[in-house]
Amino acid sequence: MACYVYPDAPATIGEVTPDISFDRGIYMNGSMTMDDGASVTIWGFTEGGGGMGGGGNQFPSPAIRVTEGQIVHTNLTVNGMMWLHTIHHHGIEPSQENDGVGHYSFDVDGTYTYQWKASHAGTYFYHCHTNTVLHAEMGMYGALIIDPPEGPGTLFSGGPTYDIEAVWACDEIDSSWHNLAWDAGTCGEDVGLNSLNPDYFIITGVDGAQSALTNPAVAVSMNVGQKLLVRYICAGYLPQRINFGGLTATVHMSDGRALPAPVQVTELEACSAERYDCIFEPTTPGVYDVTVDYLHWSTGAVVGTAKTRITVS
Amino acid sequence: MGGAGLVSWAPRAHAVTINKTFYITEGFITQPDGIDVYFRGFSNDTASLNTPGAQLIVQEGDTVSITINNTLTTDHSFVIDGVVDSGVIAAGTSKTVSFVASTAGSSMYYDALNAPYNRLSGLHGGFAVMPAGSSNELFAGSATFVQQYFWLTNDIDPVWNNALGLGNTPSTEFEARYFTINGRSMRVPDHPDYGNPDIDSGYAPDTRVTGSIGDRALIRIQNAGMCTHAVHFHANHVEWLARNGEPRPAVWKKDTIMLPRNQGSLDVIYPFESPPDAWPAVTKGKFPMHFHDEMTQTAGGGSYQFGLATTISFE
Repeated sequence: MACYVYPDAPATIGEVTPDISFDRGIYMNGSMTMDDGASVTIWGFTEGGGGMGGGGNQFPSPAIRVTEGQIVHTNLTVNGMMWLHTIHHHGIEPSQENDGVGHYSFDVDGTYTYQWKASHAGTYFYHCHTNTVLHAEMGMYGALIIDPPEGPGTLFSGGPTYDIEAVWACDEIDSSWHNLAWDAGTCGEDVGLNSLNPDYFIITGVDGAQSALTNPAVAVSMNVGQKLLVRYICAGYLPQRINFGGLTATVHMSDGRALPAPVQVTELEACSAERYDCIFEPTTPGVYDVTVDYLHWSTGAVVGTAKTRITVS
Repeated sequence: MGGAGLVSWAPRAHAVTINKTFYITEGFITQPDGIDVYFRGFSNDTASLNTPGAQLIVQEGDTVSITINNTLTTDHSFVIDGVVDSGVIAAGTSKTVSFVASTAGSSMYYDALNAPYNRLSGLHGGFAVMPAGSSNELFAGSATFVQQYFWLTNDIDPVWNNALGLGNTPSTEFEARYFTINGRSMRVPDHPDYGNPDIDSGYAPDTRVTGSIGDRALIRIQNAGMCTHAVHFHANHVEWLARNGEPRPAVWKKDTIMLPRNQGSLDVIYPFESPPDAWPAVTKGKFPMHFHDEMTQTAGGGSYQFGLATTISFE
């Protein structure tokens, strides 16, 4: 039995016809196979609103991509007899009812339409905000991208253009958490959710031990003269240090807002849920291995590393 | 619990001498899961346990005179890095330190002895210096605000705290089980302590950020704890003015900012603008500020929502 949950699915206040809408359901029977052969249970959001989920569910959850100025509906359907969830559009700042935080509004039981306006181009993500400590760790997140009116290829109006785009959502997994029930700990039981001891380090749903070095969903191949945009999302809980393998990034935005002046870096430190939008214009062909170190929150020691690669021809 | 309510401040034409007396005391504080944990504090009187200690806000040029009465059987100290160091205040003794407040900004006073244990046990508080003659700046020329808050955050390992209470030095690896802001954790609807400003960090007036549109709030965040954190604001991006006491070269607008461990700090302004992505537009609502390293949102290994968070209330 869950405690301190707030099941409801009210009508959306001031509902209008949206410019674009997305339907999301829930899956809680997904899995991710790691490079060492282990399989870890993953939860997430499905494309389409119905279903109890089946096999082959996408991790990270399917992206929400909209254009600045649009009114957006995110329709979330949850079978409240089985579990409760929400969608919080992280970095998006809507009304209280549409913010998707259970204890400030409700945990969705049925279907709720989150209505919001995409006011600022940039990189965001969405995640579940019910028993968040567990649900986000279990994988309940996906990218949320707001393009400027110019469309994909421009980061923001007046900002840089790009030819190639990659989303690196860097996360760590403590597989010992991945056998818990959706409401674990909510009635006060000690289920260890204060202590994250990750054993896998992943980039956008791909194991960063080896696979992310070559998996085309993460690794980048480009030519000299092209411009690469990396949307870096710190999707885990531990601090991260991402090193670009000798390439220099020009950071133009963070958290969906343009920086007053872009900054050039060869590595970045980030904390949970920060986003940095990095433009690369490499001038020298080569193989650049990008490393993401995950840092212990109290000692700062490196507890694990994920790797991917930018290959420049 | 924290020793002060809302920070109030009025600029003065002339520097003055600010006197404050602290009593180092000890006791137990009940955590959200009902477990009592040992703490020490820079308290306002011998009968209280205030952790963090009272917020001190002075003006550039003021002479600050602080008397610390150590009522315990252990040695302690009173330190503001780069400003004042009392040296050892032996068990059962008192000491007075005086200094001139010279640099505008936010910092922490704490007990630097037996580091980091004494600080983590609760012996810490916020100290801020306002620019001379200014009521609305972090430092001269900074972005301006109309109200201000001081948040002292802590990560609590009850094994460490209780070892100190028994006169021992902790010997285990640090493992935080409780997470506080000005000494309190969050409660939520249907809980008996929900809404109790003495217990619920969502309602305590020194943590809950309250305002109407335009009531720009400076929030001084000082991390007394051991862990690096991710400070996440809902409903508005904040203007990021300073980190570890250093003004930022440019003001970035952020929804999440890293708070460095072991006495790291941030100064931000929450602008109280209409939430930009609301449709229809709204000017009222209640939203969380919580740390996004979500382990901090637990108490005793579970109890999600009973951790380090507060409410931002648009009224």
